[in-house]
Amino acid sequence: MKKLAALLLAMILALSLGLTAQAETVTELPRNETLYFAGQQWGTVNSWNVIGTNQNNAMAIAGGIAGYRTLMFETLYMYNFMDGSLTGLLADGDYAWNEDMTELSVKIKDAAKWSDGTDVTAQDVARTFEIGVEIGNGTGTSYGAYIAGIDAVDDKNLVIRAALNDAGQPVNPLKLLDFLSGVPVAQAAWIDTVVERNGGDAVAILNDAGDDVVWSGPYTRYFADDTKVVLIRDDNYWGQDASMWGKLPVPKYIAHAIYADNPAGETALKAGEVDVCQQFIGNVQNLWLQDGLPISTYYEEAPYGVCLTMPTAWYNMNIPMLKESAALRKAIAIAVDYDSIIANAMTNQSPSFNDAPRSLMNPTEGEQALYDHEAVKDLQWAGNDIEGAIALLDEAGIVDSDGDGWREYNGEKISLNAVCPNGWTDWQASMEIVAAAGAKIGVEITTLYPEYSIYQTVFTNPNQTEYAIFMWSPDGAGPSMPWGRINQFFSSSFVGVENNWSGNWGQYVNERADELLSIIPMTTDAEELKAMYTELVEIYLTEVPSFSLMYRPSVFHAVNESVWTNFPTGDDGRNIPPADCTDGYGIAALYELELVNP
Amino acid sequence: MKGYRKYFGKKILWFVVTFVVAVILNFILPRLMPADPVAAITGKMAQGMTDASAVQEIYQRYQKEFGTDKPMIEQFFIFVQNMFHGDFGTSFSQYPRTVSDIISSAIWWTIGLQFPAIIVGWLLGNILGALAAYVRKGFDKVLMPVTLFLSNIPAFAMAVILLVLFAVNLKIAPVSGGYAFDMIPNFSWNFVRSVITHYQLPFWSIVLVSIGGQAVGMRSMSIYELNADYVKYARFLGIKDRKIVGYVFRNAMLPQVTGLALSIGTMVGGALVAEIIFSYPGLGSTMYEAVTAADYPLISATTLIITVMVLIVTFLLDIIYGFIDPRVKAAQFD
Repeated sequence: MKKLAALLLAMILALSLGLTAQAETVTELPRNETLYFAGQQWGTVNSWNVIGTNQNNAMAIAGGIAGYRTLMFETLYMYNFMDGSLTGLLADGDYAWNEDMTELSVKIKDAAKWSDGTDVTAQDVARTFEIGVEIGNGTGTSYGAYIAGIDAVDDKNLVIRAALNDAGQPVNPLKLLDFLSGVPVAQAAWIDTVVERNGGDAVAILNDAGDDVVWSGPYTRYFADDTKVVLIRDDNYWGQDASMWGKLPVPKYIAHAIYADNPAGETALKAGEVDVCQQFIGNVQNLWLQDGLPISTYYEEAPYGVCLTMPTAWYNMNIPMLKESAALRKAIAIAVDYDSIIANAMTNQSPSFNDAPRSLMNPTEGEQALYDHEAVKDLQWAGNDIEGAIALLDEAGIVDSDGDGWREYNGEKISLNAVCPNGWTDWQASMEIVAAAGAKIGVEITTLYPEYSIYQTVFTNPNQTEYAIFMWSPDGAGPSMPWGRINQFFSSSFVGVENNWSGNWGQYVNERADELLSIIPMTTDAEELKAMYTELVEIYLTEVPSFSLMYRPSVFHAVNESVWTNFPTGDDGRNIPPADCTDGYGIAALYELELVNP
Repeated sequence: MKGYRKYFGKKILWFVVTFVVAVILNFILPRLMPADPVAAITGKMAQGMTDASAVQEIYQRYQKEFGTDKPMIEQFFIFVQNMFHGDFGTSFSQYPRTVSDIISSAIWWTIGLQFPAIIVGWLLGNILGALAAYVRKGFDKVLMPVTLFLSNIPAFAMAVILLVLFAVNLKIAPVSGGYAFDMIPNFSWNFVRSVITHYQLPFWSIVLVSIGGQAVGMRSMSIYELNADYVKYARFLGIKDRKIVGYVFRNAMLPQVTGLALSIGTMVGGALVAEIIFSYPGLGSTMYEAVTAADYPLISATTLIITVMVLIVTFLLDIIYGFIDPRVKAAQFD
């Protein structure tokens, strides 16, 4: 027995020693100097290679056009989804278009430096794009079709040349703007090192661990293992120059413990072990109203955050009755009880379709102003319109002729499924409500919840007929929005594409919509734009190729103010977006945090 | 001795056959899932991309890299060939991490948590079962029902109860992680203490659930043996009680040893529930994620480790049995 006890003790010690063998630095993170996150990093960090792929490194290499996470690597501009503005980060002042929108000029800040003390130059930006195209990383594949090349005019000035179509016009100038805020710049010299050590092999470069990476942002790697990732402030950060922030960000450490699931992250937030939480928390208001915790969100009242996207149910046009009958599509869509979805699935963390009437736009003021509300008023619906739906079906001749309680289409009983991945509980609740709406109007809809690995294989297959009504979210905010999102709703360029992750998952085709989508990127006149967006909304509400079920933030943002305070809020007049103090212009919050007990 | 060699020769042959079948199943079964993990990797990269043909290119590149564009039989031979070099390939779900890297970083947590928990649960359970059978009194009337009650609580409920009780309400234990949320692994007593503190709840959530099952088995085996003819005969002969009890427990232990060996063999499968509820690192959650993400290489490697462990343990068991139970030894020599 004694021997066994000794063996056990030895094992526990061996385990601890094994861990210490990996230790890089001896330390306990001082609570007053560390900002803790949850809901960003899932699983172990794969790499620090900013030009690689699948880094699974949420704190250092993540984010998209709605706001790149610029803690370690920086973009030219920071996007602010509150007003759609682009603020210079590495870039100095505003960008400039040439007359026919084929060239975009950007100047790099004189103060901008890499962590090794060298200047950030126009050549770095050019090389970042060039290597992306060469090895096919995210930058190359996302922008290769829209950017012909980036030229360094001198050390600090660069020109981004748009790819041109046959008519000599830029393929899509909006995508050049996305590049400004969506692509982290890597150091040309470091890129060359990586290329050299991998013998120029594209796959090897993409998979390089990037342990020696050179960065320009205010933080760098400090520690990472299976349980957490920690970044430490780089006190030599160039951004303390007066031409940028004029100071260093307040927290010395950025830490993210790796939680197994949402409940674990939520428990840690409640326990004060997490300061900033990017997770959906059902009935988030109860945390301060009932539990009395010092937790808050961007807005004190519902919807508590800023919704940028709309999870949508797509009709599968490979199923003939769904393709042929707009009446059937619309009837189901207007019968759904959206208020119930928003109250139950989203616990009111979404504006209702009365607050932000249904269109192709997200509920932000900027996008709402882009279409003529009066013109489409009669076409919009807020849901739960059972009578209207029944009338629509009756009128279209879709009736129950055999008396079994279910309607038939061309003599065939309508039986559809409503599908989303298993475990995505808010979406599952939505699909149940869609099915319930079907039952009320005599259309049989059954729910189906396959595992995500299966779901994603099927819904990205352009020929699938397994899922009739299925859910996916279009993109949220960014310089190319709402064009990018509407493109996802309508563009026939995605029809028939294998492994289609890009958009139009229902395979809907509308020539007029395609035409408008091709004109909009080239249009700068506000009135013309408004007319075209309004027409697109009209088409959408008449044809109903899909229907959005709720609005939703791109990132959730709840903060615990037991240690840190002065987080951005909707009414503080600072115009810092609720982007977890890290994304796009949201990082400005890090420079203004204060300690509760200094 | 010849019989002994023949016996083990035959055993080894069967183990080899089992191993080959297991390798084939490990390879085929995950691939029968109607999911395409290459599409998932592509999806991760393609979010926000508007150029459809670029996404296509990415898909094809990964398909080529993972070799999923080759015929299944060819993939199998590559898999076997690499396996003998200890190379299980690259994970799909955690690409570009290699399977060996993922397993080697997670397995120590799993062994550190599971091995002591299995041993302690087994020891406590057997001691309790034996005491309940032999001493009876409070052990049989009070402790036994309590442990039975505890072990009938599902593992996830036990973990949640411990979490809510000790971590959330009483705040005497940490809520999650393998060590304190504000620590970086280092060689200090503070850190070791932190590891031990974080170890408690996951550890006891496994031990408490396993005691009852072990105890009830040991108790009935002991009662059966205590009433066996040889015990009565030994008592007639006036052999000391202590000596008799020794014989009894040695016999009653046999099935328990088998159970222990199998638990140790499957230990690498991890303590899924404890790992998830306490966000404790380890192979259980890794495997679970691998299954949900249809990560063939990772599934194949982890299941193969389990297979090999079980095979080794059962093989060792056969040898150990010979020492514990002379009857088995006799059979082996026949």
